Amino acid sequence: MELSYQIPRPALIWVLVAVVLVLLPQSVRMPVWISVVALCCVCWRLLIFNGRLNYPNRMVRVALVLFTLIISFTQIRNIGIGLDSAASLLALGFVFKLIEMRQKRDIYVVISLCFVMSMVTFLYSQSVVTTLYVMLVIAVTMGAMIALNRSSSVIDNMGTARLAIKIAAQALPLTIVLFIVFPRIAPLWAVPMQTGVNSTGVTDEMSPGDISELARSAELAFRVQFDDGVGLAHQQLYWRGLVLDNFDGSTWRRTRNSSAYSVAASLADFRISYNDRIRTVGEPVSYNIILEPTQQPWLFGLHLAEDVNDEFFSGRNFELFNNGRITQRLSYDLRSYMQNQTDVLLLGSSRNRNLELPDGGNERSQEFARELRASVTTDRQYANSVLTHFSQNQYFYTLNAPLLGENRIDEFLFDTMAGFCEHYASTFTYLMRAAGIPARVVIGYQGAEANPYENYLMIYQYNAHAWSEVWFEGEGWVRFDPTGAVSPTRIELGVQEALRDDPAFMEDDLFSAARFGGIGWLNAMRLRLDAIEYEWNQLVVNYDEDVQFELFERLFGEVTQQKVIMLMGSLALIVIIVVGFMVISIEPRIRRSPTDRFYLSVCKELAKVDIVRRQGEGPIAFRDRVCTERPELAEAMTELTQLYVKLNYAEKSVSEAEQKTQLLALKTVYSKLKAKLPALAGLRRVA
Amino acid sequence: MAYSLREALNKNYQRWIAKNSPPRDQITLNRKNIFIVPTRNGLLFIFSSGLVFIAAINYAVSLAFALAFLMVSIFILSILHSFNNLNQLTITSRSSQDVFCGEEACFRVQLSRSPKRRHESLELNFPNSLSSPPVNSTSCYTDLSDQDTEEVEVFTLSTKRGEFKAPRLRVLTRFPLGLCRAWSVVDLNLHCLVYPRPVQFSMNQFDSGSSGGSDSVINREGSEDFYGLRDYVPGDSLRQVAWKNVARGQGMQLKQFVDYVDNKIWLDWDMFYGFNVEERLSRLCFCVIQLSKSGNVFGMRIPGGEYPPATGLEHRKKLLRALARFGAE
Repeated sequence: MELSYQIPRPALIWVLVAVVLVLLPQSVRMPVWISVVALCCVCWRLLIFNGRLNYPNRMVRVALVLFTLIISFTQIRNIGIGLDSAASLLALGFVFKLIEMRQKRDIYVVISLCFVMSMVTFLYSQSVVTTLYVMLVIAVTMGAMIALNRSSSVIDNMGTARLAIKIAAQALPLTIVLFIVFPRIAPLWAVPMQTGVNSTGVTDEMSPGDISELARSAELAFRVQFDDGVGLAHQQLYWRGLVLDNFDGSTWRRTRNSSAYSVAASLADFRISYNDRIRTVGEPVSYNIILEPTQQPWLFGLHLAEDVNDEFFSGRNFELFNNGRITQRLSYDLRSYMQNQTDVLLLGSSRNRNLELPDGGNERSQEFARELRASVTTDRQYANSVLTHFSQNQYFYTLNAPLLGENRIDEFLFDTMAGFCEHYASTFTYLMRAAGIPARVVIGYQGAEANPYENYLMIYQYNAHAWSEVWFEGEGWVRFDPTGAVSPTRIELGVQEALRDDPAFMEDDLFSAARFGGIGWLNAMRLRLDAIEYEWNQLVVNYDEDVQFELFERLFGEVTQQKVIMLMGSLALIVIIVVGFMVISIEPRIRRSPTDRFYLSVCKELAKVDIVRRQGEGPIAFRDRVCTERPELAEAMTELTQLYVKLNYAEKSVSEAEQKTQLLALKTVYSKLKAKLPALAGLRRVA
Repeated sequence: MAYSLREALNKNYQRWIAKNSPPRDQITLNRKNIFIVPTRNGLLFIFSSGLVFIAAINYAVSLAFALAFLMVSIFILSILHSFNNLNQLTITSRSSQDVFCGEEACFRVQLSRSPKRRHESLELNFPNSLSSPPVNSTSCYTDLSDQDTEEVEVFTLSTKRGEFKAPRLRVLTRFPLGLCRAWSVVDLNLHCLVYPRPVQFSMNQFDSGSSGGSDSVINREGSEDFYGLRDYVPGDSLRQVAWKNVARGQGMQLKQFVDYVDNKIWLDWDMFYGFNVEERLSRLCFCVIQLSKSGNVFGMRIPGGEYPPATGLEHRKKLLRALARFGAE
């Protein structure tokens, strides 16, 4: 019996659909050939079912195992043991199991793997869309389980789907309760989340063209929510990322200390002198940032940011770093002192680093800097006059900057005079250093779009920006944005306004809703959807052991282990009992035909005048009783019952249209009957 | 060791079942007589939910936690739904037909539901023990989704002649998700009569006896009906030697046969001299089948009963039942 087990056809189709659905989001990340192999396996399985192909024999199976071993070996060599290689191996084993699936037990292995693969999907993304998609996958997988357990004679896919959705819906309340109350455990061991996904957002290098590249993308970079009562103008929103202080003539980079010792030394040095290096005025601004995965370790915040929960590292130049690459959405709280002074005293090595210029080249610019510096008295006046130079000459703010050659600074400053923020920041910083003033480039994001529905800000990749910080004696580092001198709109209203007519802007996302910001309802819908995503992130994705602990503490005061366990147990028990009661005691409703419904409503009307149909009394017996008890109703009742019996118990071959006309006839008879009812009711009242 | 442990468990289980479900003609399943355990596939499912949970802990992925909890919830729901699929199902015993020994006994039971419920993928069989699949019984699969009642036949192998009481009937379902197995074992008092196993032999003497007038022997050198024994004389056919008697040490004796000519055939217990009781019954049973098939008028004499010659299906049934019940009193 076991040998001849044949998977019911509907069940096989359900399983294959579930497998394809579960692999679809993975196929984006996996190597293409795995998707091809998966497709082949699905087709093979279908052909086995049709009897055109056979199950793989021993040779083929051994070959497949060897193949998988070789693949896993090369994967580990090429990518390393990481999530990506593990996920693709899992997928491979999963599809191979498919062609070997003969018995019910094998199908359950595949079904269980469907759930595990859904989990893998969540490792990469936890957005609302992903969640909905995974719920669809699970519903289909449950459909497969149901189809597998139905009699093979039943082919009722709609019924299967309905039942699957019903069970899933019933399971949901229990899931939510478990999600909220089940004690979360901190990770047992650290797992490196290595993914082959390319990093996004600003990088730790800046060459001309890098940031204009980002401006072509309308992807979300991060979301920010300020504590209540904080209102910042658009031009104050400089989301500082990294400080680039090393220039080689074309690219700005972060200076990295090569030896571990010097890192440790500078870190110690930094620790000791942290409070001496900063001076702050006024109260800090508190806010929460939810950063989209960047695959990079650095974080963004308003200058001068302080990490509230003390979970990140601070860089030498007051940048913030996460411990490891950011592979999932990261939510963090910051506190920023908007009025601040840093490094009022600049030590020798730092000073030299921020004055360094490549040897030779860009002679015209150096000459220009020297002359301009000589014409004014203070460093600040010099910096302002460079800005004035930008604003008063024919400089353009554009994404399509002409290509630059050997002496980039010279060519941009005197010849092409058109560029994006990185050109201006780079040139401005160069001119500062050429005049002997310490200066550096800062990259990050500038500006934001407010979401009115949930009161938070959205920062997109096209908000990427570069600006300068200049060091003045007695003032420390001061922010200068040369782009603002060229295009004040960019800083005050945002990049969308500034580049309204630039075709290259957001060209990577042709159909992005953000492009159609001008269309009212579309824009409203986009903002609304983003607000949902934001709420989802705040309520669900970020729900971890700390949030859970806080919630319990708020609800029950001091939380002890016993209390949590008792709470969890009792809540889960209550839900199980309630849902169980619903499943078991509430019997499914019968679907009555329209004729039946009508007849029952007639009986109800009659009951109002004390003609009550008894339990189990058939329509004909009821009619007889009515006729003897209330002769005045006899004629109408007889006609009505006759029509009803004919409609309800006659052979089913009567066409639908005919049934409708008969039902209509029934209703007209009823109206005749009804006319007599008030009189009866009155009679009763008199009596 | 393990085997005997299982045996002991099984014995205990049978005793417990016997105490808790006394035989009745009609049984409605409810929470008192439905049992549920996870299937092997259900355990696999729970194991993979554990995997998802561990991954959720290690990668600290909130929604993976949710997925693990969803899987656990689905499992719990599947317990409830499996229970619901049997709950309030009414099983009524129907009349059963007699069978010949060695054939599958067929028991008819009626399943009925309350009009508001559905019962799908029900499996009925007669289990031999606690958990093993039935060896001698063929499972019967049915649905109770469209009509309110359904009559089904469940088969089990009959092994002994006589009154046969069916083992307890097991109603089983894995619907809807196959993660749990809900079952109930009910004693419906299902009985049937098992006739002796018919043993074929050639019975030419009955064919020749349609003419003639008396119950007398007319052919002493017949070959069919046993008449008596005489001592062996060299030259006699070895085929007629009563080898059984030789084996008993009674010396070589020859069986003598005669042909009877009789318009009313009598089947006699002594016709099969030398056979034991069951063998005689089997042969008599074969005679009854053959004779009633050819429409003969025949009677039967067995110890404890004499059945005058008659014909027809009723007669056949009466004789077969007598054979089946032989020695039961």
